[in-house]
Amino acid sequence: MVKLTMIARVIDGLPLAEGLDDGRDLTDAEMYKQQVKALFKNLSKGHNEASRMSVETGPYVFHYIIEGRVCYLTMCDRSYPKKLAFQYLEDLKNEFERVNGAQIETAARPYAFIKFDTFIQKTKKLYQDTRTQRNISKLNDELYEVHQIMTRNVQEVLGVGEKLDQVSQMSSRLTSESRIYADKARDLNRQALIRKWAPVAIVLGVVFLLFWVKAKLW
Amino acid sequence: MGTENPGRPNFPMRPPPGPFASAPPTMTPFSSSRPTPPSAYPTMTPFSSAGPRPLARFGDQSVPPPPVTSVPPAGGPYQQFPTSPSPSTAQAPPIRAPPQGQPPFQPRASQVSASSVSFPPQSQVPPVPMGSSPQSVNFSPSGVNVPQPPTGSLFSGPRPNIQPTFSPPDSSYSAAKSTFQPPFPGYPSKKSAVSQTPSPFPAQQGSFMPPPPASSSPFSSQQGSYAPPPLVAASLGYQSRGQMQHPSSAPPIGGIQSLTEDFSSLSLASLPGSIDPGCDHRTLPRPLDGDVEPSSFTKMYPMNCNPRYLRLTTSGVPSSQSLASRWHLTLGAVVCPLAEDPEGEELPVINYISTGIIRCRRCRTYVNPYVTFTDAGRKWRCNICALLNDVPGDYFANLDATGRRIDLDQRPELLKGSVEFVAPTDYMNRPPMPPLYFFLIDVSISAVRSGMIGVVAQTIRSCLDELPGFPRTQIGFITYDSTIHFYNMKSSLAQPQMMVVSDLDDIFVPLPDDLLVNLSESRTVVETFLDSLPSMFQDNVNVESAFGPAVKAAFMVMSQLGGKLLIFQNTLPSLGVGRLKLRGDDLRAYGTDKEHLLRLPEGSFYKQMAADLTKYQIGVNVYAFSDKYTDIASLGTLAKYTGGQVYYYPNFQSSIHGEKLRHELARDLTRETAWEAVMRIRCGKGIRCTSYHGNFMLRSTDLLALPTVDCDKAYAVQLSLEETLLTTQTVYFQAVLLYTASCGERRIRVHTAAAPVVTDLGEMYRQADTGAIFSLFCRLAIEKTLTNKLEDARNSLQLRIVKALREYRNLYAVQHRLGSRMIYPDSLKFLCSYGLALSKSVPLKGGYADAQLDERCAAGFTMMALPVKSLLKLLYPSLIRIDEYLLKPSAQTEDFKNIMKRLPLVAESLDSRGLYIYDDGFRFVIWFGRMLSPDVAKNLLGEDFAAELSKVILTEHDNEMSRRLMRILKKLRESDPSYYQLPYLVRQGEQPKEGLLLLVNLIEDQMGGTSGYVDWIMQIHRQVQQNT
Repeated sequence: MVKLTMIARVIDGLPLAEGLDDGRDLTDAEMYKQQVKALFKNLSKGHNEASRMSVETGPYVFHYIIEGRVCYLTMCDRSYPKKLAFQYLEDLKNEFERVNGAQIETAARPYAFIKFDTFIQKTKKLYQDTRTQRNISKLNDELYEVHQIMTRNVQEVLGVGEKLDQVSQMSSRLTSESRIYADKARDLNRQALIRKWAPVAIVLGVVFLLFWVKAKLW
Repeated sequence: MGTENPGRPNFPMRPPPGPFASAPPTMTPFSSSRPTPPSAYPTMTPFSSAGPRPLARFGDQSVPPPPVTSVPPAGGPYQQFPTSPSPSTAQAPPIRAPPQGQPPFQPRASQVSASSVSFPPQSQVPPVPMGSSPQSVNFSPSGVNVPQPPTGSLFSGPRPNIQPTFSPPDSSYSAAKSTFQPPFPGYPSKKSAVSQTPSPFPAQQGSFMPPPPASSSPFSSQQGSYAPPPLVAASLGYQSRGQMQHPSSAPPIGGIQSLTEDFSSLSLASLPGSIDPGCDHRTLPRPLDGDVEPSSFTKMYPMNCNPRYLRLTTSGVPSSQSLASRWHLTLGAVVCPLAEDPEGEELPVINYISTGIIRCRRCRTYVNPYVTFTDAGRKWRCNICALLNDVPGDYFANLDATGRRIDLDQRPELLKGSVEFVAPTDYMNRPPMPPLYFFLIDVSISAVRSGMIGVVAQTIRSCLDELPGFPRTQIGFITYDSTIHFYNMKSSLAQPQMMVVSDLDDIFVPLPDDLLVNLSESRTVVETFLDSLPSMFQDNVNVESAFGPAVKAAFMVMSQLGGKLLIFQNTLPSLGVGRLKLRGDDLRAYGTDKEHLLRLPEGSFYKQMAADLTKYQIGVNVYAFSDKYTDIASLGTLAKYTGGQVYYYPNFQSSIHGEKLRHELARDLTRETAWEAVMRIRCGKGIRCTSYHGNFMLRSTDLLALPTVDCDKAYAVQLSLEETLLTTQTVYFQAVLLYTASCGERRIRVHTAAAPVVTDLGEMYRQADTGAIFSLFCRLAIEKTLTNKLEDARNSLQLRIVKALREYRNLYAVQHRLGSRMIYPDSLKFLCSYGLALSKSVPLKGGYADAQLDERCAAGFTMMALPVKSLLKLLYPSLIRIDEYLLKPSAQTEDFKNIMKRLPLVAESLDSRGLYIYDDGFRFVIWFGRMLSPDVAKNLLGEDFAAELSKVILTEHDNEMSRRLMRILKKLRESDPSYYQLPYLVRQGEQPKEGLLLLVNLIEDQMGGTSGYVDWIMQIHRQVQQNT
């Protein structure tokens, strides 16, 4: 059963449309929405993700497809047939491209195609019940292959980005710290030099001063 | 000094009335308006150098002195003084203005090097010879002949204050009239109504002759050539004094001359023991022009948002707390964030998704025209908190030589006080919601009988096409009596399915979907439903009403999306939670401490429900129809805290009130509505918003939650100053509304306004805005009725007005002996009339018998939300005589301007030969005079013109007169479409209907235990004078 549906632009993660009254019977819909947003952000960073993917999260699964720089994502129960979920997304994709295809690139505000929610709503209802004749026949349709679609865990997916972030952070910290180290080393060097030669210089100075004073007085 | 135009532009820096204290008061006008001639004889220069026309004109009588004495020819006309006809008045100006007068002065200027030397004696003259009584005040201005110019400038200024200022013929001082007139002969000529034009002048001239040496001595001794003028003028004063001796208590009206420049005044001779009230009601100030938006404010700061969005009670913001505490008219503002824009003035919409919206880091102010860019355009300074912010790279633009951004022309947000930003994702918790309308309709027997259901169903059906937000609009219905009926409107159904839930204690929603449907998809089902709704319940005999459970059910259906809930309630809720008792019938509660409880919601259900509804972005509009008590106080609470409004149609009958309901419901459904909105008002440093008044829920200390908001809602806020002194010259206000437009866009509407900081109380009074003040007063008073007795609310209102006027009087009482004149600033000339109107308005008036409790509460809820303009119209409705227009043979032209002459609301305005329309913005009362020609009535009402008028419904008949009347009504309705005025017909003398409909609304009349306008003024005046 479809719980959430979201459509976003891949380049910048800008949300384009969302299902109407999504998450009505979900207790922690907000958390899942946050996860979806994090996922979109990940995608927009350009990690090379597969164009079709399932991501498990708690009792649910996110299914998404990326097509024409738009990501169509839905969240279903784990028990919901994967095949139907992807068929659902395909339906959305086809309609969305047909209606808004030309303006996707130029959309400038969030939820620019919010009007699409009525279609999402309608389509969702068609897929609500897995036992309807229509859906059963779709399930049996072998044309649509979903076996090779990868399934991963949400922590993993979000984690990848996190880890990468960590690595890059670490490396940048490393560079900056090594630079600091070099500076400090140079400084220490200089200090050592001073410490080494300062007494000699002082003694010599005093001696010369004495000589000079002597020469001046006498 | 609203009248001095030259002084206006530099007004923020304008010297406070310090001059009053130091220099003779009479000088100020010149020093302020004419900065140059401080040297020898500032006072004379205007005359010699031919000042502005009005000035010169006024000089007529002020300057006559010079010609009289210095230039004999000029004096000619004057010599024949005693009988000189009015023409002489006309001749006077040419004679005196020209240079003849000048020579004598010019030497003066050189002779007396320091003006201060020559001056004091002049100003001291008056008191010396006749300092005995207040009359000397009268003398002083006329004697010195300097002060006149200010008066002249008054004349040149706004016309309206002429009337109030000089309340003419009245028995109490008619005796003195002839002598008083001289000070302002220029005036009668302008005021056509009063016909004493010629008389005053001769009187004046008469007084020229015998120059009393006493008064002139100081002058003559000091100024040889100049002496005569004062003599003459002085004699004038003397003379008038002599005559004034008789009406011993007559007020020193002459004193007004020097004052008028600063304030308007009203002569009130409070003769002890006299029956005559001492002032003529015809001349009292009346707000016959309706609401006047403050213009000086916008002129001063052209980049401010239009006053229709934001108005301050005074445009001069006090600089310190102590000053603010002396301003008794409450410091505050009225915000109407979505006020309707006239055609072609839509706000610019700006999209900064890519750059992000520029806001101050600290106070979160939005970028606006008053921010300043510095550091070659890399930084900007917030105008509210003065923090220096970085300009983001995308927003950067170089500054030109004058420090303006070179791209200023392309940045509407830096040019206009009102703009809309497209909100980025950070400003939304969820995708923009679709417009959603949910209807909760009472179908119990009384609703069926009144025909309400039919009208509602028809109206909704006719509005389906115009509901905003196509194609996303959602719609749903629930009906209820003792059970709750849900309707499945699934688009695939041929007709709606009804599901009945009778378990009121544990409400559940029988269907997960399809109770709330997309209108464009389920259009046919919705139409079928609406067509069949009236007939479905026509035989219903259920008398119960499960209102509370029904609201809960609607809440459950709507809670996912939010939206607008329209409740049509016809009886007192009698079943389930939220059932109400017949508590409002209790006469005994009035006058006791428990009185206000009747105006508060009963129990906690309604408040709690309202809080829940707001939380889920549901706004409620309550339509109540009952002829009996329905406890609007409780029902209205739902609307009050959800940003909605209450419509009340007492004793609804579809045949009579159907049209009104139809229009108002249609307006409610089709007007542009903002959804899931929040509003915040930011003020400059040192100023704080202390309380908010209107229909909304406060989410945090300063965030107003408004589930739905539209152009007919205004919110008032009270401001207070913090300890510190305001050091800046200007202070800024920003009202921001974040909302979802019906088209599905999330927007931020920003209104910015600047106001000058003033250090002088007088300036605050000058900049006062009566409309905003009363909008705030009205809300405060209504809120007061919820915690106190009506009496107390009225008294506190009166006390505020008295305090304000007293404070104002104190400002000027030191310099001017005011005697028994009532003074007020020109900007507040309607303070008293609106004050009276407010205390006689439905929510505040009288006691138990004067208005039904429901009516009172409904009016209270309505007035809490009304924008300024509609409120003022409701407070002081217009009364228009139309029979002349109807009878005029060739009035094909649409000269409505001429007809729309508003009359004062007194019974005297009604002529029994006339036909009048009374329009308060909510209804029309058409009054047929007893002696109105029957033809007119026949033409307008058709054959049954002689019948009982309450049964007649005004329709258009096939004759010119009827068509004209309809045109007038249409025109009047167009001026404010937020409510529909239903015409009530009444004939003169038809009691008690006439009394209820019209006479009780003639607020200036004495009615029952309430005071009339004149009494009210006298009462206020007496209180003002106490303790001064």
